[in-house]
Amino acid sequence: MDLRPDESLVAFREEVRRAIAEDLPADMEARQRAFGGIQSEIGDTLAWTRIMARRGWTVPQWPVEHGGLGWSPMQLFVFQEEQDAAYAPTMSWAGSHMVGPVIYTFGSDEQKARFLPAIRNGEYIWAQGFSEPGNGSDLANLRTQAVLDGDKYIVNGQKIWTSTAYASEWGFFLVRTDPTVKPQRGISFLLIDMKSPGITVRQIPMINDDCELCEVFLDNVEVPAENLVGEPGAGWTYAKFLLDHERTTSSFIFFNKREVQRAKDIAVAEGLARDPVIQARIARLEAEVTALEWSVLRTLAGEDYRYDDTAVASVLKVTGSRLQHAITELQTDLLGAKATRLFAVEADRRDPAPLWPEHVPGRVGAALGQRAATIFGGTLQVQKNIIAKLAFGL
Amino acid sequence: MDFNYSDMQRMLLDSAERYLGDRFTLEHRRAARSEASGVDAEAWAAFAELGWLALTIPEAQGGLGGSVEDMAVLSTALGARLVVEPFASTAVLGAHIYARSEGDRSAELAAIAGGEARVALAHDEPGERYAYAAPRRTRVTREGNRLVLNGQKMLAADAPGAGTFLVTATIEGEAGTAIVAVDAQAAGVTASPYPLLDGSRAADIAFDQVALDVEAVIIAPARGQAVLAEALDRATISLLAQAVGSMESCLDVCSAYVKERQQFGQPIGKFQSLQHIMADMFVATHQARSGLYMALAASEAEPAARQRAVSLASITVKEASQLVSRQGLQLHGGYGMTDEYEISHHFRRLMVIEKLFGDIDFHIRRVAAS
Repeated sequence: MDLRPDESLVAFREEVRRAIAEDLPADMEARQRAFGGIQSEIGDTLAWTRIMARRGWTVPQWPVEHGGLGWSPMQLFVFQEEQDAAYAPTMSWAGSHMVGPVIYTFGSDEQKARFLPAIRNGEYIWAQGFSEPGNGSDLANLRTQAVLDGDKYIVNGQKIWTSTAYASEWGFFLVRTDPTVKPQRGISFLLIDMKSPGITVRQIPMINDDCELCEVFLDNVEVPAENLVGEPGAGWTYAKFLLDHERTTSSFIFFNKREVQRAKDIAVAEGLARDPVIQARIARLEAEVTALEWSVLRTLAGEDYRYDDTAVASVLKVTGSRLQHAITELQTDLLGAKATRLFAVEADRRDPAPLWPEHVPGRVGAALGQRAATIFGGTLQVQKNIIAKLAFGL
Repeated sequence: MDFNYSDMQRMLLDSAERYLGDRFTLEHRRAARSEASGVDAEAWAAFAELGWLALTIPEAQGGLGGSVEDMAVLSTALGARLVVEPFASTAVLGAHIYARSEGDRSAELAAIAGGEARVALAHDEPGERYAYAAPRRTRVTREGNRLVLNGQKMLAADAPGAGTFLVTATIEGEAGTAIVAVDAQAAGVTASPYPLLDGSRAADIAFDQVALDVEAVIIAPARGQAVLAEALDRATISLLAQAVGSMESCLDVCSAYVKERQQFGQPIGKFQSLQHIMADMFVATHQARSGLYMALAASEAEPAARQRAVSLASITVKEASQLVSRQGLQLHGGYGMTDEYEISHHFRRLMVIEKLFGDIDFHIRRVAAS
C-alpha cells in the first residue's frame, strides 16, 4: 500500500486550473453557479466544448488515435474535478461519454470519420433514446421497433427522458430489430438524424420548472441501414458497455464535494456557521463525502478487491445519490422560508431580486432536480438488488 | 375520548370532499397556477357560500363559532386536494387577529366570512429567520393625529391575492409589536409578487410614508406578541392538518401507482423493497395524524403549553411529510419528477408547508427552549 498522493498530479492540477480560469467566461460561470444542471444549458455546453476544443481537451479519455490525450485515470479525475469546482459547464456528455466510445469501439470507419470529429469539436448535441414509457428499470423489454426494408430501417415507437431532444441534431437509439429472440438479443444500436420526417419531440414539464427532458415519438421514421452501429442484435451489449464505461461517474463525487462546500458558504451567509445543529449536519456530510472520494480512488487505482466490481460500482451510486439528496436538502434547509420561492431562470436573469441574497436563486430548483439521483441510471432499489446478488449471491 | 368525527364534522368533511374533488382536479391545479393572485375567485366565493370562511369566527362576531377541531377537519380536505387558496392566511390567521382586536371589527370579519376580503400577514423582514418574537424595524410614527408607516417586509405569503395586509410594526414611543391593517392599494405601498413552489403566491412589500388612521392599529403593541403567537399557532395547525390530508392522498396515489405500473413482468408493488417503503409511509402518516390531534387538544391551553404542543406536532408532521413525499416520488420513478403526476404537486406543497411559519429546525429549538 502507498496512500500518498501522486506528486506529479500537483503540477497537472495547477495547469488545468490555470487553463480553466483563463478560458471560462465570467457570465457562463455565473449562470452555471446559480442554475447549472437545472435549465437550458445547451448554449453553454456547446460553447464550453468549443472553447476546450481549442486546447484539444474535449475527449481526453478517448484512445489517442481518436483524439484522446493518454491521461491516466487520476489525471482525468483531476481534470473533471477542476472543471466542476470552477462551475464550468459539463461538456456535451452524451457525445463524449456515451455514443462516442460506442462508435470508436464498434462503429464502421465511415461512422468514425463522420461523427467523432463532430463530437470532439462540440458541433452539436446528441440525444439518448434508451428508456421507454413502459420500460425504465426493465430496459431490456423495450418495444420501439426497427424493421429492415431494403437499405433502410423503418422505426416505430416512443422514447422518454431524452435530454434536450428538441435541440439535438443526432440521436442514438436502442431499437428492437428481432422480436423473435430473447429480449436482450433482439436489440440494435441505431443512429438517427433527429430532423428525419416522422420524429416528434415533446418537452416534459418537470417538478422544478425545467423542461429539458423530452418524449420522442417515432412514426415510420426511415433510417439508412448504414446507421446501425456494429452488429444487428448486439445493441444490448453496446448499451451495457456504454453504461459500464465510467463506473465512478455515478458517484457524482465532484458535485458532492463542491456542494458540501457551497452548503458551508451558505451557512456562513445565513449566520448559521456556528450553530451546533448545522455544524453536526455538515460534519456528517463531509465525513461521508470524504469516504466516498476514497472509494472512488480505490476504483480508479484498480484495487484488487474480494467483491465483484459491479457491486462496488453500486456502492458508489448508492452513496453518491444519497449524498446528492442530503447535501441539497441541507442547502434548502439553510434558506429557511426563502426556500419556498420558485425562481424561474429566465425571469430572474431579467429581473433580479435585490432583497434576496445571491446564494438563494437556483438552490431549491437544483434540490428538486436532485431527487432524480436515486431514480436514473438504476434506481436505489435496483442498486441494492445488484449488491445483494453480486456481493452475496442472494 | 372520542376520535370519531361528530355529525357536523362528518357533514363538513363530506361536502368539502365532494366540492373539492369535483373542482380541484390536477388539470385545474395546473391551469390555475397562471392566475397572478394565486386565488381561484370562483372557488373562493364557493368557500364563502359553504360557510368555510366563517367557520372559526365567533358567533358573537357573526361567524359560525366552529372549533379548532372543525377547522382542522376542513383543512385535511383542503390539503388532500392540494388547495393553495389562502384559507389559513385569511380564514384562520387573519380572522383570529381581527376577532382578538379591542375595537369592533365585525365589518372586517363579515367581509372575510362573505368572501369579499382576503388578508395576508406581513411579518418577515430582510435577513430574518422565523423571528416572530423579535422587535420590528418596520415603524409607525405619529404626525399630528395621523400615523405613518415605513418599512420593508419580505415573503408575505398570499399577499398578492389579499386586499389588506396585516403588518407587524413598532409604534414610536411604545414597547411591543403592534399589528396594523394596511390597504394593499394605499399610496406608498409597493408589493413585488412572485410564485412559490406550490403555485401559491407571496410578495415582498415596501411601505414608504404610508398614511394610516388611528383605527388601523387592530392590535395594540402591548398585546401584539401574544396575539401574533396565537394566530400563528392556529395557522400552523391548519397547515399541519393540510399536510396530513396531503400525505393521506400520497398514500392513495402511490398505492394505486405501484399496483398499476409493471416492470419485470409484474406490478412493482409486488417487490418487497417497495412494499416496505409504502409501510414506512403508512407509519409516518398515522403518527402525523396523532401528532395533529395532540396539538388540537392543547390549542386552547395556556401559551407555553400550547406552543410546546404545536411545536411537537410540527416536528412530527413535518418530518413525516418529508418522508412521505420523498418516498412517494421515489416510488413513481421518473414520472414522479414530472409536473404531470400528482405526486410532484404534493411534494412541492409539503415542502412549502414545512417551511412556512417555522420549519422543523425552528420547532426543535422551540421545544428545546421550552
